[in-house]
Amino acid sequence: MPAKERLKQQLIRDLVRENLDTVSGAPPPGLGRRRRTVSGWLLAGLGATLVVTFSGAISSTAFRFGAARTGAAPRAAEAATAPDSALPAPQKIDPSLFQLAVRKVVLDPGHGGTDPGAVTPSGLEEKTLTLDIAHRLRALLKDAPIAVVMTRTDDRTVSLERRVEIANAENADLFLSIHINSMPLPDDVGVETFYLGNTRDPETARFARAENSGSGYSLADFKTLLEGVYAGVRQEESRRFAATMQAGLFRELAGVNGRLRDRGVKTAPLVVLVGTRMPAILAEVSCVSNADEARRLATSDYRSEVARALFAGIRAYADPAHALPAAFAGGGTPGGSKGDS
Amino acid sequence: MTTKPKSEILQVGIDLGTSRSSISASNGSRHVIDSYVGWPVDMVARKVVKKPVLFGKEALDNRPMLDLHRPLERGLIKEGSAKDEEAVRELLRHLISLAGAKEGQKVFAVVGVPAEALRVSKQHLRKAVSGLADSLMIVSEPFAVAYGMDSLLHTMIIDIGAGTTDFCVMNGRYPTDEDQRTLTNAGDAIDEQLATLVRTKLPDGRFSVYMVREWKEKGSFVGEPEKPVSVRVPVHGKPTELDITAEMRRACESLLAPISETMLDLISRVEPEYQEDVRKNVILAGGGSQITGLAGALEGVLEELGGGRVRAVDDPVFAGSNGGLAIALDAPETDWESLAG
Repeated sequence: MPAKERLKQQLIRDLVRENLDTVSGAPPPGLGRRRRTVSGWLLAGLGATLVVTFSGAISSTAFRFGAARTGAAPRAAEAATAPDSALPAPQKIDPSLFQLAVRKVVLDPGHGGTDPGAVTPSGLEEKTLTLDIAHRLRALLKDAPIAVVMTRTDDRTVSLERRVEIANAENADLFLSIHINSMPLPDDVGVETFYLGNTRDPETARFARAENSGSGYSLADFKTLLEGVYAGVRQEESRRFAATMQAGLFRELAGVNGRLRDRGVKTAPLVVLVGTRMPAILAEVSCVSNADEARRLATSDYRSEVARALFAGIRAYADPAHALPAAFAGGGTPGGSKGDS
Repeated sequence: MTTKPKSEILQVGIDLGTSRSSISASNGSRHVIDSYVGWPVDMVARKVVKKPVLFGKEALDNRPMLDLHRPLERGLIKEGSAKDEEAVRELLRHLISLAGAKEGQKVFAVVGVPAEALRVSKQHLRKAVSGLADSLMIVSEPFAVAYGMDSLLHTMIIDIGAGTTDFCVMNGRYPTDEDQRTLTNAGDAIDEQLATLVRTKLPDGRFSVYMVREWKEKGSFVGEPEKPVSVRVPVHGKPTELDITAEMRRACESLLAPISETMLDLISRVEPEYQEDVRKNVILAGGGSQITGLAGALEGVLEELGGGRVRAVDDPVFAGSNGGLAIALDAPETDWESLAG
């Protein structure tokens, strides 16, 4: 038989095998083993971490939590051989138990370089405004004192993938991407904050597609990123960060602009929120399509107000002593918050 | 098991695309339709269109009266949408009916999907097609193209569709994740960018995404234009001639950087002794392969590695479905039986 025919036969055998795996629901080659190892590591590591870090040094509530997990650890070690049904259901971790400190924040001024983002009627570009606001916020955070890393400090093109790399390489505690909205209706003006999650809102889906364009990631990269993204406390912390940020933004800016709408906390599958390994949010701090708001944004005073509002959000998240009043904590006016899950 | 006479079986290859879907069948029939499915929105609409469901151009032309779905975003069934799953099912049913299976004839189908389609989407597809074909294989689209062209060794397929651009290096084995990439920079991204640029140039112009798609299909190019690209855009109801040569170039060239980078990256991962062979066998498929000047531009990129040859498939509309049909014809009946149901 000619070599080419043999090759074709082999390729079809491999193709059929792959399809049979799909029918049977088997994981793709290599993935099954990795998943098993990760889940085993997660449970075993959780027990071990809590025992080592917190034994005898935390509240009785935390201690009970740790003790329960310690008991689970030996079973977790058997996870590689036990059927899934034998495993205890995973329990949600309360991140507040860890009393996490915020020492370093990555500020990500949206767009830049060849990507101007949204543009005001007078020609002011989103990339310029986000960079200016980020610089002002950096100055406020330095006095906090919180170390600040910026994904760009001048007008240059930075891919979404590179922004994620910078944040992860810096091992930062928080990631804040700063953007300015543009709405279809010129009267619309509001602030909104996103954290990672799926969305069924077509408007948010369109927004995600636009913001994710030219991400630099392939689907393979994305699949790898998404596999681990919902594990652990990161999403919960991102949600809390988003809620406090939205509350801070709206409270501070509503005083300046009485027509400002609280568009709420939303979830969206945005690239910069998928790849970053720390609590991460994207804040839409203003709206260039509204003529009044565009005029305000042209003034340095208003951009300072926006920076102060963002600072209030970060401070409220980082330090419970600065927590916002309960009325603001959820963010969003009725009908204004969509997709928060 | 007895082997059935070939006349009792209709083998079909289907290219299930975001923008267009095609079918090639063993009885010689070939069909292509726009991947639109629409259901009349109410009784009045149903009376007007006189059909329970419409497909392709007919659906597009009657869209004001239809609940119109373009179910395959990025080449996959949109997750979580029962209506889109139903639309895929209707689309496949329609394609298979176009192929003209005789009463009692078994249908064995090979369905091409984007290269790195997630396993969960393949299962969605299986669910959608259950009962429509007697046996089904799902295959990565560029692999189907390579198989159909007998280009199974030291070849790179770049399949530029509407939702995704798929890369696949054929090196004599069934492609693994390492051999494939998928980018979301594809035809739809060109449409979006072109629409934005034209809207900026002519703010009062009124046009739809369907018009933009048509402009692209008639005038897409990279590099120096062979002739000006001129379109008619209604402004306040009055058709207005508009030169969009520069906008078309900018939108189409937005694909060049990500495609070039991914092509070079994949080549660099090929065994060193075969890299030159792969460079000389780069094949463009999909609708994007028809962008004037694209093959030449990519050959220019390969110059920095010592040169290469990039060519477009002769039949971009049916290259994928023809490849699927070739697989369907070569697969032994025992394999089909194992995948039945």
